[in-house]
Amino acid sequence: MKKNKIYPKWFIIAPLILYAVFFLLPSLLGVWYSFTDWNVRSKGVINFVGINNYIEIFTSNKNYSAGIINTLKFTLISNVVKLIPALFLAILLKEKLKGKNFYRTIFYLPSILPFLVIGLIFKSILNFNDGLLNSALEFLHLDFMKQKWLSDLAVVWKSIYGVDAWRGIGYVMTIFLAGLNAIPSSYYEAASIDGANFFHKLRFITLPMLTGSITINLVFGLTYGLKVFDIVYVLTNGGPGHATEVLTTYSYQVYANGSYGLATALNTILFLITTVLGVLIVTYMSKQEVGE
Amino acid sequence: MKKRAYVSVLSVVLSILLLAGCGNTATGTNNKSDDSSTNTASTATQAPTAAAEPSFEGEELSILVSAGWMDNRYDATIARFEETYGVTVDLQTIPADQYSDVLQTRLAGGTCADVFWIQSNPFAIESVIVDYENYCIDFTGADWMSVVPEARLSSCMVGDSLYGLQLWHNSPEYVMVYNKTLFNELGITEVPTTYAELLADCDTIAAAGITPWFLPGADGWQHQLSFFQIGGVYEEATPGLYDALNNNTATFAGNAKMLEVLNEFKELSDKGYFGEDWIGTSSTNMANEFGDRNVAMAMANSSYIQQLKEDTGTTDEFGLFLIPLGDNQNFPTNPAGPTMFGYKGTEHEDLVKAFFSFVCTTESLQEILDNSPSYTNIHVNDPDVQQHWLTEEQTFMDSIDESKMLTPVLQTGTKFTNDYWMDFGADMIAFCQGTMTADEVLANMDANRAISAAIQGDPAWQ
Repeated sequence: MKKNKIYPKWFIIAPLILYAVFFLLPSLLGVWYSFTDWNVRSKGVINFVGINNYIEIFTSNKNYSAGIINTLKFTLISNVVKLIPALFLAILLKEKLKGKNFYRTIFYLPSILPFLVIGLIFKSILNFNDGLLNSALEFLHLDFMKQKWLSDLAVVWKSIYGVDAWRGIGYVMTIFLAGLNAIPSSYYEAASIDGANFFHKLRFITLPMLTGSITINLVFGLTYGLKVFDIVYVLTNGGPGHATEVLTTYSYQVYANGSYGLATALNTILFLITTVLGVLIVTYMSKQEVGE
Repeated sequence: MKKRAYVSVLSVVLSILLLAGCGNTATGTNNKSDDSSTNTASTATQAPTAAAEPSFEGEELSILVSAGWMDNRYDATIARFEETYGVTVDLQTIPADQYSDVLQTRLAGGTCADVFWIQSNPFAIESVIVDYENYCIDFTGADWMSVVPEARLSSCMVGDSLYGLQLWHNSPEYVMVYNKTLFNELGITEVPTTYAELLADCDTIAAAGITPWFLPGADGWQHQLSFFQIGGVYEEATPGLYDALNNNTATFAGNAKMLEVLNEFKELSDKGYFGEDWIGTSSTNMANEFGDRNVAMAMANSSYIQQLKEDTGTTDEFGLFLIPLGDNQNFPTNPAGPTMFGYKGTEHEDLVKAFFSFVCTTESLQEILDNSPSYTNIHVNDPDVQQHWLTEEQTFMDSIDESKMLTPVLQTGTKFTNDYWMDFGADMIAFCQGTMTADEVLANMDANRAISAAIQGDPAWQ
């Protein structure tokens, strides 16, 4: 390797300064504000209140804890319902399938749509009285399958997962496809000669070789899931009642009501959860890669 | 070596070009600034009539408003304003359930529109806008102040300072509008005046396959009207309740009458009298539901009858009665309404002032009224405006004893209550779905009011 082709270390100084000023510093300031009574009427006078905001979060009758649990639940389930189908779709679309580029485009398209548009479309589709989905079920004489998709407590989360998967599967699939294309076909040919079936190849070739793509998808999915806001806001706005409130919708409401200190405390909790889980996953997956 | 020299020369040339570009822009700006100062100077020396109407040519006035507060009724007036002053108006209409959040975020972020609206009441400027001295243009002494009736000024002023302009109608707001023809056909000849009578009528209507009470829960702001519009009944049950709530010597939690009303509401919900999926239903289809006779009644403004007939062409007769939850027979007196304010951080303060004056001229007021299918009148001090009162409204108003019109509705008669309108609505839905109790709903309102009181430093909550 030519030595003069390696960039000097001082190249990192500029981005590091930008990162520190525009990301690190505001984040740390946010943590500081979470220990204050900063609110809409503070007018520059902000008092240190210790962990009062955190006590409020875990003891108030607002049930912020349910918001935290819902956030974690969403992160877990939304990743499962996206990752597994996306993996199989990617495998399917890697094969010599007629029109596979067309299918790849179709699956990827929803992920470029804005959440607001998706929310408006799906609110209309999922309307109980005259929505497209229930009307179609009625037309097919499947009335027993009609649901109050966005207002029944037993169904509403499933609707959110469904819409989220519809939007996100194509994106996850594309990352898997990139990973799959990097696996030499000779591995599969050798396995076939040895008599391996589809699941053997999946277990012993595809999954181990896809560790990098899985890590990327998991980290992206994890951060997306933990900071989920748009899809919930546009579909249910945290309702019916408070059934689909997540950390960010609560934080948004609290901020809008003028309790900025409390809002930053909620965001700090989210920041901590994201950091801990992110570090754990990256560390675990890195070990897996090294082990292989 | 030669290549390096080329690169160096190219870099220098590009740097010079970049600086030259910046220089030109700066010069352009200066020229523009010079032009404008010249214009200002020449305007100042013009005749008094021209000076009274300064030139705003090319400026843009942005207006931030919740859906339903301006609708199309201001379109013609805005078009005339644009034509008169050679300006453009950017109307930013936000869905009702998101408006409060958007407004607060933009106020706090210093990116608010030139004109913004709030649902104002005598406490709202301090509790909703909060930092009104920093956010609102002070209009004290404006000519248009005399157009706003005394009762409405309380929602536009703090102390002696005038901040808002409220142009709203004076019709009965959010009472029960019902299909009189349908009621008669079903053998219901008297309107219900108690909850028991309402329930019996709902039984009859539902048995005929019709949704008794259209309630659009998905809007997020309508269903709680059934609780708050009947404030007089709570005051009747506990005399002095409003004062006690404002002095923090009483709470919503544990109030027997409020619990009774919430439980009645849930009973109607459980029986399906609000429709099969009222929580997921929005109001967009309400007129059609009435027109198709799928529903028999709904909470609406009295003037909605006129709009309903125009929109659907129905020949049915409609009437009004008071919301009978909690056996209420009190009129929903309410000096509140959507109110517009000028944003102090605007770069077009004179244009904002011109807009406020413009909408208060007789021509504009008449235009706003005439372009409002849901208005029959506009509550202003201007005898030249031609009002269009409905017979049904006058009959209804005449039927109510004046003593039942004294107590204002709960949301505007008590401090900090209206600030948590949407939260209370969400809690009511949670109660109907069994995830909260009625007393928890009320206790949440107490807790929320305490937060607002603490933020505002209200001495009663210290």
